[in-house]
Amino acid sequence: MNIIEFRDVSKIYENGTAALKDINLVIKKGEFVFLVGPSGSGKSTFIKLLIKETPVTSGTIFVAGRNICILKSSKIPQLRRNIGCIFQDYKLLSDRTIFENIAFALEVIGKPNYIIKAQVPQVLKLVGLYSKMDSYPHQLSGGEQQRICIARAFVNRPPILLADEPTGNLDPATSESIMKLLSRINLIGTTVVMATHEKSIVNAMRRRVVEMEEGLIIRDQKRGVYGS
Amino acid sequence: MGFTAITTVAITLFIVGVFSVILFDVQSILNSIEGQVEIAVYLKDNISNDLKGYLENEIKKWPEVDSIAYVSKEQALEKFKVQNEGSDILKEIQGNPLPASFEIKLKDPQKVEQVALRFVDKDGKSIDGVDEVIYGKSYIRKLFSITAVAGTIALLIIIILILATMVLIYNTIRLSIYARRKEIEVMKLVGATNGYVRAPFLFEGFFEGFLGGGIAVVLLYLLNKFLLIKGETAIVETMHIKNLAILGSSNIILIAYFGIIIIGGLIGILSSGFALRRYLKV
Repeated sequence: MNIIEFRDVSKIYENGTAALKDINLVIKKGEFVFLVGPSGSGKSTFIKLLIKETPVTSGTIFVAGRNICILKSSKIPQLRRNIGCIFQDYKLLSDRTIFENIAFALEVIGKPNYIIKAQVPQVLKLVGLYSKMDSYPHQLSGGEQQRICIARAFVNRPPILLADEPTGNLDPATSESIMKLLSRINLIGTTVVMATHEKSIVNAMRRRVVEMEEGLIIRDQKRGVYGS
Repeated sequence: MGFTAITTVAITLFIVGVFSVILFDVQSILNSIEGQVEIAVYLKDNISNDLKGYLENEIKKWPEVDSIAYVSKEQALEKFKVQNEGSDILKEIQGNPLPASFEIKLKDPQKVEQVALRFVDKDGKSIDGVDEVIYGKSYIRKLFSITAVAGTIALLIIIILILATMVLIYNTIRLSIYARRKEIEVMKLVGATNGYVRAPFLFEGFFEGFLGGGIAVVLLYLLNKFLLIKGETAIVETMHIKNLAILGSSNIILIAYFGIIIIGGLIGILSSGFALRRYLKV
């Protein structure tokens, strides 16, 4: 089943920058895909289009078989509930505890309290930070904060996880543990798309690699490595 | 949070309230005066019944005339006594010095001068049987146009003040959107609905407007209780005008209180709505 499909997708920003040029790409359910390429190659735009943070200029994008380009703005939240996102800068709320940060993601989509109380500890165990539930983000290391970010993205069990340079601020050893966590989440059946420009990680994982350059896909390889 | 905004709403709506009470009362007074006789035609004491009847019939035929009433000397004296009850002047009156008269009401008070001049001949003398014609009430028309102008100016001031309060609420909402931008970003990312993201800001705007309106009502209530009500009491005692904003039986002032609070809330919701449209694209 195609969970993500780009058909002739182009994105030209208002300032005239062509970030994506006629992209065609199919990602199957349960795949783990690396998007690689230098800064400005269109990786982030790819992710922004998927969560409809910005509209496509032309072409169509399907998520789980649905054309998201014709989605009414009132339906965008529903789309985003099915796509977890993690970032290089974590985007944790500094005035809330770890528990509250993750609970927040469930609260704002209207989940009742008993579900929050059950699911938050569960996902914290999954990322191995159950004991830090009552800490604040600044009391955690970068790697730990990234795990919390993953926990928050995954607590609602979305079928898709998008990661934009999740290891960008982390040292190699910590990055490796983050990749292990993402692999585990992928093994449960979650489709993972990760944008990165870190060679060692991509080479170690041996997963599908989609290489982009100046808005074009220049390589799409199963079990690939960073450089060709 | 939003202290300036709340204060401005309060001051603005307080001014709205004061203007409303004053303008309402002035209108009431003018309406009451306008309803009084517009032309009084005083007759000579020696006028013959024939001439009197002829005049009355003629006046009735004029298209401008709404009604005509004959007031005899005796009725005039009665009226005078009622109006000056308890005054020393009554003791000094001997006989009946008051003239009989026709009291004429017009369909269109603007024509008062035109009608009144028919009782005067080319040399400026009154026609036969008529002693004097009084129609000085045309100044009321002028008063009406003055209050209309005053009302328009008041309305303009109010609109400007309301716009100013809207800008202030707009700014406080913009600031709190900015202060909570990280939270908003996360909310959107995890799929909170637009309504869910917007509701707290709409509520904040509503609350600022509503609270400002409430403060304005309290201020207006105090002003009414300690100052304006005294003015109205004086108006009632001297002019016997019943339909006033505070003392009147129609509860105009309660409507004003409610109106002010509702306007406050609406101003708040509208302003934060504008701020959200501008700064909270989802």
